[in-house]
Amino acid sequence: MELLPQALTDGILLGGIYITIAIAFSLTYGVMHVIDFAVGEWIMFGAFTGFYLNKWTGLDPFIFLPVIFVLYFGIGYLIQPVIHRVLSGTKGNPFLMGLVFTFGLAIMFRGLALTVFGFYSNSIPSMFSEGSFNIDQFGITVTIPAVRLVGLCYALAITGFLHYLLKKTNFGLGVRALAQHKDAAGLMGVNSKRTGSFVYGIYVGISAMTGVLMGCILSIGAQMGNEYTIFAFFVVVLAGMGYLAGVPWAALLLGLVQSIFMIYFNPSHTLLAVFAILYVILLISPRGLFGKGV
Amino acid sequence: MKTTNSRGPAILGILVAALLILPLVVHDTFVLRVLTEGIMWIGLAIAFDVIAGYTGYLNFGHGAFFGIGAYTIAILMMQANLPFWAALPAGGLAAGVVALIAGIPTLRLKGAYFAIATWALSRAIQQLALNVEFTGGPDGMRLNAFLNPQFFYYLMLITVGLTFLILWYLLERAPFGLKLKAIREDEEGAKALGLNPTKLKMQAFILSALPTGILGGIYAYWITFIDPSSTLGDLVSDQAVVMVVFGGMGTLFGPALGALLIFAFKTIFWAYLSDFQLLYLIILGALIAVSVIFIPNGLWGTLFKRKAAPPRREEPALTAVVAPEEGN
Repeated sequence: MELLPQALTDGILLGGIYITIAIAFSLTYGVMHVIDFAVGEWIMFGAFTGFYLNKWTGLDPFIFLPVIFVLYFGIGYLIQPVIHRVLSGTKGNPFLMGLVFTFGLAIMFRGLALTVFGFYSNSIPSMFSEGSFNIDQFGITVTIPAVRLVGLCYALAITGFLHYLLKKTNFGLGVRALAQHKDAAGLMGVNSKRTGSFVYGIYVGISAMTGVLMGCILSIGAQMGNEYTIFAFFVVVLAGMGYLAGVPWAALLLGLVQSIFMIYFNPSHTLLAVFAILYVILLISPRGLFGKGV
Repeated sequence: MKTTNSRGPAILGILVAALLILPLVVHDTFVLRVLTEGIMWIGLAIAFDVIAGYTGYLNFGHGAFFGIGAYTIAILMMQANLPFWAALPAGGLAAGVVALIAGIPTLRLKGAYFAIATWALSRAIQQLALNVEFTGGPDGMRLNAFLNPQFFYYLMLITVGLTFLILWYLLERAPFGLKLKAIREDEEGAKALGLNPTKLKMQAFILSALPTGILGGIYAYWITFIDPSSTLGDLVSDQAVVMVVFGGMGTLFGPALGALLIFAFKTIFWAYLSDFQLLYLIILGALIAVSVIFIPNGLWGTLFKRKAAPPRREEPALTAVVAPEEGN
């Protein structure tokens, strides 16, 4: 039982980072009404960008976070109109086509990454990688690696920023309106095309930044995308599709499941556990843990 | 509902006759092998289209059912010493049962949930096969070799041919196909007309999984070696998606055409450019994206069907007003 506090701490620190991915992902779903299968691939691309920038310049990867955000915001902003075009198509079923389209993008990105980066896995060195804090009180020993603590600060900052953006700005009002009713929001003067591009850009940017962080904390590899796509789905489904307030709890739960499996069980069974939980939730309460999804 | 013009049946008849005579003329085992696998892919693609094209629910884990069939037969033949003919139906049955279990929570919900869940399911099953003892883990399983290319050619041809006929009857001639299409076009409307969408979707999903499992079983016996990456990997699912989207969703001939073209491309690509196998993945992904943008009805729908599926826009009046988009 002495490992339990450590497992819980690790889980909460890890889960904190998943919040950022899942909120951005959920936001995109709210605006576009289509889930993006390429979410893990954006994380992977971001991680590799951080890895190479660090290798070439020798500077700490955390310095590049804003650069990576801007870069990937641009990429997302430019790609979204294509998805918008697919979704507003008149032939066939636009929703199906949107799903298939992002699925195709994900396959293409994975192939690209395997070609360029190879099969090896790496980790991004950072000045925070070495240090750690030890807490030894009341008979409980917990080690908090500095890099995970930085990760949690980052997660809090991003979540705070998104909260401000959604709740306090006109842009956020437009995003929420679009999530509620696309056509009515359009009638109220919300430009769905431009808002969609912005939201998708923000989502891609945040995913890429989080990728750098995951690369510092765990590892990077061209195949890592799949795992994160499943994690993003897990959090969003558990929270209830489109219900943002549920995301932090679901993300923390995921972090806990992952760290408990890493410490107590076989880490390669994590995915099975994730799937089992997902199955039970979908069976009992398909609208998520809180029953407020769509 | 007419699917082809009057020349269609004649062309189809000649094609079937040619396929039946072929092994008597061609003795090159490589050619037979390629043809056998090509026929198998046609079967996989049309089975995928039952749930994707006709019902409108994307199964991104089609490969899982193929792998389940393959593993069931391998386990039954090697560990329970059952003969092939006894094991084969069990492969299809196992795939059907998994479809039932996976479909119960997900098919009640919107399509996005189903797409995610099937995709995650295929990952989980792959992980399971890697981690448990009786599947041999990452080393895979070896079956007793039965080296008779003609036998497997005919077995594959008969299985796929029967699958095609049954699906064609159910989807294009029987009311079942119309019911599925009704769900695809408007689930609420279908419910209002007295249909039970969840039950029908379950039936479609099982109908899609059964032949996939059987084909997986034949594949396992034919290739004699299976491992998680060859039968449960993403490539099977990814290729099925490409074949159906590129060929044309919601028809039976479209996926068959897509399967033939993609498989021919794959064979040529892997024969001449085997050093660039990863490029194949990029091309598959790009092909999906490009097909969605430029030929949303697929090759078959664009080439042969003049009247495509009717445009599906919710609340057209509102959309028309929003169209200029002079917001913010």
